[in-house]
Amino acid sequence: MSHAPATHAAPQSHVPALKMGVPIPNGKLGMWLFLGTEIMFFTALIGTYIVLRLGSKGWPTDTAVTHITIWAGGTNTFVLITSSVFVVLAHEAMAQRNYKRVTNWMIGTMALSCVFLGIKSYEYYGKIKHDILPGHVAESPRQALDKLVRELDAASGLPALQEEATVTENLVAQKQGKDDESLKKDRDAVQRRIKILDPVVALYRPFRDKVKYGQITLAEAETGLDALKKTGFKGLIETKENELKLLDEGKSTQSGSDEFKQLKSTKLEELSQLVKSERAFGAVHEPHVMKWGNTFASVYFTMTGFHALHVVIGMIMFGLIIWLGKANKLAPRHEVFVENCGLYWHFVDLVWIFLFPLIYIV
Amino acid sequence: MLDEHALPAAGEFAAPEAHHPHVNYWKIFYVLCVLTIISWLADEFGKTGNQTLLVLVVLTVACFKAMFVMLYFMHLKFEGKWKFVLLAPTMILALAIVAALMPDIGSHYYDYDVPQLHTADTDDEGHAEHSSGGHGDALPGQ
Repeated sequence: MSHAPATHAAPQSHVPALKMGVPIPNGKLGMWLFLGTEIMFFTALIGTYIVLRLGSKGWPTDTAVTHITIWAGGTNTFVLITSSVFVVLAHEAMAQRNYKRVTNWMIGTMALSCVFLGIKSYEYYGKIKHDILPGHVAESPRQALDKLVRELDAASGLPALQEEATVTENLVAQKQGKDDESLKKDRDAVQRRIKILDPVVALYRPFRDKVKYGQITLAEAETGLDALKKTGFKGLIETKENELKLLDEGKSTQSGSDEFKQLKSTKLEELSQLVKSERAFGAVHEPHVMKWGNTFASVYFTMTGFHALHVVIGMIMFGLIIWLGKANKLAPRHEVFVENCGLYWHFVDLVWIFLFPLIYIV
Repeated sequence: MLDEHALPAAGEFAAPEAHHPHVNYWKIFYVLCVLTIISWLADEFGKTGNQTLLVLVVLTVACFKAMFVMLYFMHLKFEGKWKFVLLAPTMILALAIVAALMPDIGSHYYDYDVPQLHTADTDDEGHAEHSSGGHGDALPGQ
């Protein structure tokens, strides 16, 4: 250890006689200790991913299945590297007491962080759209077919209405003798909604039953779903529109009657239901099998999610520096803070440097 | 905050250029970009080739990139020896969970049987037996 020079001449000096411990500012030491815990955290996450992958024969790597977009990961790598340079240049400008430059580099870093999160959101949107979410991925053909049945039923809206019908029916039965008109009205309304669903049920039910009882293959189910989405509802909607047109053409003779109004209202309701159902069935996912897909989705979202959270925290720190710069409050005492922000951001970059090849390439 | 004059002069642990090293950061940036392009090229042209080689190349490139970021952007090249005291135990402890999981989950030192190992390959046609109500083989959490 080095010894401080004798201080007999200046006992009141602010310079400590002896500096104990690590020769860096306390703030910087604190940041490095924090980064130590961060290293352990992310190594545990990435290490666990590697171990899980090594132990899972047939891990999904085909980007057509995983919907991993390599260009997005590569662009984000470039964005983070560039932002790392901006941060280190901001630190250099801080040392030169050029606070305007510090602010400008920080604004650049902030903009790049936004680009990073924008690209990440685009990737997440793709995963959500294809239902690559933990606990949602079919890992065998049977699971894929069962999932298709569940989604078809949910898109039709029939099971929920049937449940509602049972509840209203039970309520009417409980009030027997008391003649509760409002309950009966509710029950009839639900029954009517079920009736309006008849053409939808007639359209999807045969296909759904074939899928449910394993009478078709996965590939056939995929083709069948495609046909249902593309052409299934078109004919029904056209027929309903023609019916309405014919009704309108003959309205001069009977438009005033209640019967006509009721008929037209029902037809409009049926048409609206068909359009709604077409949209709902359009959102049903293709029945795909992805072995280890749930583990894949879990580790993907855990690792990239925690990384994105760190990006957001970094942006808050950059925002603080930008605010200090814009308010002309940046001073030499902020130098360690700017350096710490830089250290933190480089660590975020480091994590991505390993996430990119491990998730996107390998 | 600590006043910069309060810092000791270069001692046993502190490197003399520790405070503001002069680095051409743009040069490092170009190196990192080139390394990223190498990773991308390896993926583009190595996809159909030897997978182990691809893994080796992209992970080696990642290690080099990490090294450049740590040495020059994080200034570890210019820091004193305290960096070893702080980072060495961290790195060792960070590997604990990997070491703990590897025998069971990573290498499976015993025979194990999970649906993923024998369903999708043999049952691709999808003529699976009817699962009553779809719950027998249903997805977790649905």
